Amino acid sequence: MSNQRQASSASQVPHLSPAELSYLYSSLSLPKTPIRPDGRSPTQFRPLTAETNILPGTNGSARIGFADGTQAIVGVKAEVEKTVLANETLARNDGGAGLDRGEQEGSAAVGGHGSWVQMSIEIPGFRDDDALPVFLSEMMRESLVGAVGTREASDMAGGLKERLVINKRWHWRLYIDVLLLSQPLAYPLPLLSLTTHLALLSTKLPKRKSQGEEDPFFDDDWAVAEYLYPRPSLSSGKTNSTGSSFVRPPVTLLVISVGENIIFDPNREEIAVADAVLAISITRDSEAGTLKLLSIRTVDPPSRLTQPGVPNSENVSMLGAVAPTEDVAVLNPATGEEEVPGVWRPRRGGVKRSVIAEMVKTALKKGGVGEEVLEGLEGVEVS
Amino acid sequence: MGIIILPPVVEDILPRHDESDDSMSVDSDEDVEMSGVRAPKRARIGNQTVSTGVVTPGEVVTDDPQWMRGHGTYMTPLSTSIIATVAGTVHKTNKLLSVHPLRARYTPEIGDLVVGRIVEVQSKRWKVDVAAPLLAQLPLSAINLPGGILRRRTSSDELQIRTFFSEGDLVVAEVQSVHQDGSASLHTRSLKYGKLRNGVFLAVTGTGGSGASSSTTKGGVGAGSLRPGAGSGMGGVVRSRRQVWTVSTHNGGGEVDVILGVNGYIWISKHADGASAASSTTDHVSITRMEEMVSTSIYSSQNDEIPPQTRREIARLAQCIQVLVQGGIRVDEETVMGAYEASLQVDLEVGDDEDEDEETRHEGREYLEGAKSRRILELVVQQVK
Repeated sequence: MSNQRQASSASQVPHLSPAELSYLYSSLSLPKTPIRPDGRSPTQFRPLTAETNILPGTNGSARIGFADGTQAIVGVKAEVEKTVLANETLARNDGGAGLDRGEQEGSAAVGGHGSWVQMSIEIPGFRDDDALPVFLSEMMRESLVGAVGTREASDMAGGLKERLVINKRWHWRLYIDVLLLSQPLAYPLPLLSLTTHLALLSTKLPKRKSQGEEDPFFDDDWAVAEYLYPRPSLSSGKTNSTGSSFVRPPVTLLVISVGENIIFDPNREEIAVADAVLAISITRDSEAGTLKLLSIRTVDPPSRLTQPGVPNSENVSMLGAVAPTEDVAVLNPATGEEEVPGVWRPRRGGVKRSVIAEMVKTALKKGGVGEEVLEGLEGVEVS
Repeated sequence: MGIIILPPVVEDILPRHDESDDSMSVDSDEDVEMSGVRAPKRARIGNQTVSTGVVTPGEVVTDDPQWMRGHGTYMTPLSTSIIATVAGTVHKTNKLLSVHPLRARYTPEIGDLVVGRIVEVQSKRWKVDVAAPLLAQLPLSAINLPGGILRRRTSSDELQIRTFFSEGDLVVAEVQSVHQDGSASLHTRSLKYGKLRNGVFLAVTGTGGSGASSSTTKGGVGAGSLRPGAGSGMGGVVRSRRQVWTVSTHNGGGEVDVILGVNGYIWISKHADGASAASSTTDHVSITRMEEMVSTSIYSSQNDEIPPQTRREIARLAQCIQVLVQGGIRVDEETVMGAYEASLQVDLEVGDDEDEDEETRHEGREYLEGAKSRRILELVVQQVK
């Protein structure tokens, strides 16, 4: 039972007493200025340490450690694979004229396939087929393969799966192996997502020597290998498609709402009192540098499963000590539930639309959290 | 402001020099010889003594038969090598080698003030997590039953056992007795003890009450203060004269209680003295019923109204303790208060430096990580030394 609960809910719910939960909730839901237990501002992240290219045998790898001691390593391996052509693409290729332009369109028509990206997540204490790793890997893979370029014209501007196309018959297959090195103290999604992002940024594929539809043939020299996601510094020098150098792999942020407040990078205690937990995937996919929302997933908030507090008026061990009319239930503006101040009520789930909209806006807006995170990760030296 | 990404900290390979080493190393030649044995396997530098590095369980500390084994080590009957059983630093007293663990679970002793969390409710007792290897028990007969006067427990008390403490509740208690197997029996038969509310809980690791010495804290400062448990790892709460005290906080925070459980569990809450606790539950209380009122409010799980200023200062105190723990400094009244004052001072220093408008300056300025935490540690170390 407890194991099941652990796997289905947002994190290993710490056992917190109703008094603690109530204190946390009321601190975090103070209008405008939430007081987080560690003093951060609502949009502030805990400092993290990051490095890339730590695994010699991979195409790209990264390690990120959070200040609370949780660490993750991600390795990306690429493999050339023969594309199994679907009937319709074959048919369309037959129909198209053998022009140079037609060939380009043909390679775009193959367009990549979501199954070319394989992701496996290993979390200590969980089996491969437990709900948490499976759900996490699907959540991250979906945003990775779901990131589709807006402009069809430039061949590399799209998401990850378009980048994996070599030609009509061949493609790259990516294996992304995510390893959480520590116990999942908080919901590990943001850590794993940031690490995956960094690993993909550092991923290099060998330079192709073959042309067009030939069987792929690659340069032995690893030094000339090309980044899967071209870096801006390189693009100014030699890459011709400037648009694609702004495209970045998606990153998934964990955002919670407590009352009217929106809090980023929540720690375990903060998740425990959240009204709503959202995993918001964002990416940058155009030269304008604006962020795009890829997906929103709600995560089951563990506050649902907590123990309710007992108001003094109903407390049997305090009978006769309290005037019964003292506790007046007030309406929580965020959830629309009645509650006695100072007494914890488990959240029933559900927040107002405006709160959700605000969460997405804070993540996406110019100079907002999403941009800061992407810039921060960009700043990590890819050696 | 939003996110800070740091390059990985490279662990300094150079072992620390403790003052105690120099005074204790009886014969430096032997030490050279011993490290010579270990040299091929581990890149220890130069003529370091045994007592500097960190050893892991199963690692051979020395093969030399002249040493006696102490705590944290064992010897196989057929060989003379001393093997570590815990991860920690090697210490030697004359010819006795012992390994002090970096972190250990709490070993209860009679009279310890502990903070615990109820994990299980049984028919006549609670099982309490006190960070010890075994759960402690709190019998129903060892608590103050409501009704003011001390009385025998009745069957109705047994039936409503959950109204006193239920799963997840935090209690502050005293260790009444320690059983043969090392598990503890607690009691809360005092007005000081009972259920905790109006505050925050934090757990610190370290060697707990097992008498961490402050002389080994030097190397932990600054080196890797972002990683918990880094540094010398000898932090944690130590047994001391005062485990519970009241801080009169700055910035309009009012009075805040700090309870340092010997087991490393800490509770920081708004100060509630007897009279105000009673008056918060009811307005009209006669002086003769005062004690009764106090004892009944022990089992409340409803928080009082706590102003934001107080919450802010509680958060600051909690962070100060975290900073101390991450810096590997022992946690007691002196260091906590030192860190608290230091954090205020650091805030002033930082506030002077910045010429930004009020809005951005307040943004996250209460977060004491990174540079701020290092500065606080410096100040605390100065004060303590």
